[in-house]
Amino acid sequence: MSSKKKVLLKVIILGDSGVGKTSLMNQFVNKKFSNQYKATIGADFLTKEVIVDDRIVTMQIWDTAGQERFQSLGVAFYRGADCCVLVFDVTAPNTFKSLESWKDEFLIQASPRDPENFPFVILGNKVDLENRAVSAKRAQQWCQSKNDIPYFETSAKEAVNVELAFQTIARNVLAQETDAELYNEFPDQLKLTANDNGRNRDGDNCAC
Amino acid sequence: MSSSSVEEITDQSNDLFTQDGVLLKACSGRPVNELNSIGMLCIVQNSDGTKSIEWRPSDIITVCAVQEQDWALVNAIGRRQRTFSGNLTADYATARARIIRMPLNELKIFRVTNRNQQMSFSNKVGVWQSTFFFQHGNAEVFIAYLKSHVKTAKSSRDRNTYLVVEPTDETRALNRSFTELDIFQENTTDVVWNIVSNLKERPYETTMEAFSKLSSIGLDYNSGSQLLYYGNEASSKRDVSEEVADLLTKSMVAAEEAHSVTKSDEYEVISMKPTLPPRPSIPRSTPLSQEKWEGLQDTLGRVTEMDGVKQLIFRGGVAHSIRKQVWKYLLDYYPWHMTHAELKALQKKRTDEYYCMKLQWRSMTEGQESRFTEYRDRKSLVEKDVNRTDRTHPFFAGDNNPNLETLQDILMTYVMYNFDLGYVQGMSDILAPLLLLMGNEVDTFWCFVGFMERIASNFDMDQAGMKHQLLQLQQLVMFASPELAQHLALKDSGNMYFCFRWLLVWFKREFSLIDIMRLWEVLWTGLPCANFHLLICVAILEAEKEVLISGDYGFTEILKHVNELSMRIEVNKVLSSAEGIYHQIISAPHLTDQIRIILGLTPLGTSAPTEDDDAPEATGTNCKDNDAAANVSTSGTDMEEAVLEYDGIEISIVTQTVWALLA
Ligand SMILES: Nc1nc2c(ncn2[C@@H]2O[C@H](COP(=O)(O)OP(=O)(O)O)[C@@H](O)[C@H]2O)c(=O)[nH]1
Ligand SMILES: [Mg+2]
Repeated sequence: MSSKKKVLLKVIILGDSGVGKTSLMNQFVNKKFSNQYKATIGADFLTKEVIVDDRIVTMQIWDTAGQERFQSLGVAFYRGADCCVLVFDVTAPNTFKSLESWKDEFLIQASPRDPENFPFVILGNKVDLENRAVSAKRAQQWCQSKNDIPYFETSAKEAVNVELAFQTIARNVLAQETDAELYNEFPDQLKLTANDNGRNRDGDNCAC
Repeated sequence: MSSSSVEEITDQSNDLFTQDGVLLKACSGRPVNELNSIGMLCIVQNSDGTKSIEWRPSDIITVCAVQEQDWALVNAIGRRQRTFSGNLTADYATARARIIRMPLNELKIFRVTNRNQQMSFSNKVGVWQSTFFFQHGNAEVFIAYLKSHVKTAKSSRDRNTYLVVEPTDETRALNRSFTELDIFQENTTDVVWNIVSNLKERPYETTMEAFSKLSSIGLDYNSGSQLLYYGNEASSKRDVSEEVADLLTKSMVAAEEAHSVTKSDEYEVISMKPTLPPRPSIPRSTPLSQEKWEGLQDTLGRVTEMDGVKQLIFRGGVAHSIRKQVWKYLLDYYPWHMTHAELKALQKKRTDEYYCMKLQWRSMTEGQESRFTEYRDRKSLVEKDVNRTDRTHPFFAGDNNPNLETLQDILMTYVMYNFDLGYVQGMSDILAPLLLLMGNEVDTFWCFVGFMERIASNFDMDQAGMKHQLLQLQQLVMFASPELAQHLALKDSGNMYFCFRWLLVWFKREFSLIDIMRLWEVLWTGLPCANFHLLICVAILEAEKEVLISGDYGFTEILKHVNELSMRIEVNKVLSSAEGIYHQIISAPHLTDQIRIILGLTPLGTSAPTEDDDAPEATGTNCKDNDAAANVSTSGTDMEEAVLEYDGIEISIVTQTVWALLA
C-alpha cells in the first residue's frame, strides 16, 4: 500500500440538453472545444487526474443525455457520486429554471448519505455569447438561497473558468471527505452497505 | 404501440430479471398437483418500488404471448385482465392464481443445492418455503442478480446457505440465531423421518406421499402471509404447529439430498450446463445488384418476389447504386406490388401531404410561437441536435450547410406528423443517413416515417420500449452466452444499460455512415427472425466476452469498453456471427419459450391457436419482423421452397427464381 491514498471522485454533470455539458467535460479533460460533438446518447465518462494539495485525485466525470425521458435510465449512473455539477445556459432562461428540478431529482435518485450537505456546483455556461438572458446576479442569488452552492460563470468554448470550476469541485469534495475520513476506516462491509443503498434505488425502473 | 396504454395499467410491475425453465419443486401451501410444473423465476419491481421474487407458471407466459403482441408488456400480468375474455380469462385466472411471490424485503434466507441447480427460499430461518429447480444450466446467474438487490452473507454453518442481511449490523445476530437454531439437526420426530428413510429408495414417490398424507389431514402449512400466492391470501391462517411444517420442509430437503445422491430416474437427468451447438460460419453474399433488382420487377414495375428480394438483401445488402430505390420499399414508403404508374401517383400524393404538414408549422407567426411553449421547446431541441448531427461528414459539415436546414425541416414536419411523440433525441441520428442517401426532402421524410414506425417504442416517454428490449437482450445473452451473462450480473451490469445507445438508434453511433446503411437494410428485412437487432448486440458482446471476463471488467470499464467499440466493428463480420448465433439458438435442444417468443417463433407451451397473423400492428419494432419470420417458416403457399445449406445448416427458404439468381 502506498502512503499517499489514491482518491477517485465521481462527478455527475446534469442539466438540460444543449447547455454544454459534453463541451465542458471535454474542455476540462482534453482542453478542446469542438462544435462537432454529437448529442450524448446513453452515458459516458472521462477521467482526469488533478492535484489538490499534493494529493493526486482522479476525477471521473459522468455525462448523460439531457432530455428528461432518458433520465429514468440515466439514474443508473448516479450511484456513488461525490459531487453533482448542474449546468445551465446563460442565454436560455428555461435551462436556469430547470436547475431546481435537476437538483431535486438527483437527490431523490442518488440518495446520498447526507443530502443536506451533498456538494453541488452550479455552472452558468456560454458566457462568451452576446445574447445573455440570465444575469450573474440572479444566478448568484439563487445559489446563495440554496445553502450557498458555489457558482461559476463558464465558457466551454473559450475555456473560461472551466479549470477553476473543476478544481474547486475536487477541493470541496475532498474537504468534505476529510470530515468523513473516519468513514474510510470503517470495515468494508459498511462501505458496501452504503453503496448498496444507492444501488437499490438506481436499479429502479420506475416509469416516472 | 401507443404509450398511453401503458399508463392505464394499474397493477404494474417491471421484470428486472427473468429466468426461464425453472421447475417448482416445493412450496408450502401448494397443492401437490401444482408441483413440478415449469415456469419462469423472476425478480420484479412492484409499482410501489419494492421488489419481489416471482415465479410464474409457463402456461401463463405463453398465454400472455399469444394474447398480447404488445412490446410494452414488460409485465404481462397487470394488463392481462383487461384484455381477456371468455375461456382465456378463466385459464388466465387459474394460471395467475399459481403465481408465487415473495417480497425481497421479507426474504431472510436462501440456499443453493444440487450442484447449483436448486434454490430454496424462506422468510424465516428454520423452514424452507419454496424450492425451485433450474432445468437449464444453473442458478448462478439468478443468484448474481439476486445479490445485486439484497445484501447477503454466507452462513457460517453451511456454505450453500445465504442469509439476507439488512443494511444494519444484523448480520452477526442473524448468523448466531441461525447457528443456534441449527435447522438441519438430526433429531426429528418419527413421522417424517420414516418418510425420509424411504427417500433413498424412492425419493419422488415418498415426497409426494408425504405431501398427500399431510395435506389429506387438512394441513395448511402456509407458514406466514409473506409468501403470497394469489387467490389464497385470506386463508393463510396457521392451524398446525410450526413443527410439522418444519418437518415437512425437512423431508423435502432430505428428498433433495437423497436425490442428489441416488440420482433416481424419476428425475429428469439434465446436463449441467447445456451448451449451444457449434456456431456455423455463414458467409455473407454480394449485395443485391441493379441487374438482379431489375430482373425481379415485372414489366409494369411491380416487385413480385418480395420474399425473395428480402432474402437476397438479408444475405448481402443492397448495391449502393440502387439503395435509393430499394429503401423506399424496405421502409414501407413504396408498396411492393405497385406499378410504376401507381407509384408515381402515390409519390405525388405524399408530396402534397408533406408540404401541407410543413406549411402548418412554417406559417406559424412569431407571436404565435411566443405563446406556444411546447412547440418552441421542440423547435429549439431540434435545432440543437441538428447542429450536432454528423458534422464531420462532408455532407453535413461547415457553417450554413443547407443540408442541416433540410434535417431541421424534416424533423419539424415530423413533429407535426406525430405531435404526440414529437422530437426525441436520437431521431436526428436516424434521419441523417436517410437524407444523405435520398437527397430529396419528401422521400427522406416518408422513409423516416417508415423507420420510425419500427422503432417508435424506443422513444416512449416512459422508456418502456427500451427497457423491454434491454430485458430481452439480457435473456438472449443468458441463453447464448451464460458465462458472459454471469459476469455482467456480478458486475452490476446485468441491466444491459451499456447497450442503450446501440438499441436507441440501431447502432448508428457505432458504424460509419456507409456501414450503417448496410446494417440497417439487412435489419429492415426482418430476417431471419424477429428482433435480429438484439442478436447483433449478442454477437458484438460475444466477440468481446474474453476481454470483459478475463480483464475482470467492472461496471465502469464495461461501459467504457463498449462505448469505445464505436467505429471499430466490422459490419459484415458481425452480421455473419449474429446469423450464426441465431442458428445456434434455434437448434439448441434446450430452447425455451421465452427465447422463442423474443425471436418471434411460436412458443411450444401453448395450446391456444396462434393468431400472430392478425395481431393489429402489434409491436413497433417487431410486427414486420414477425410477418417476415412467418413467411420464412411457412413452407410457402405459392412459393416453391429451396433450402440453402452451409455446413449442414438450413439457412433459408427461397423461391426458385431467387435461387437461380443467387447461383
Ligand atoms: N458559444 C458557446 N457554445 C457552446 C458552449 N458550450 C457548448 N456550446 C455549444 O452548445 C451546443 C450544445 O453543447 P453540448 O456540449 O453538446 O451540450 P449538452 O447537451 O449539454 O452536452 C453545441 O452546439 C456546442 O457547440 C459555450 O461555452 N459557448
Ligand atoms: Mg451531451
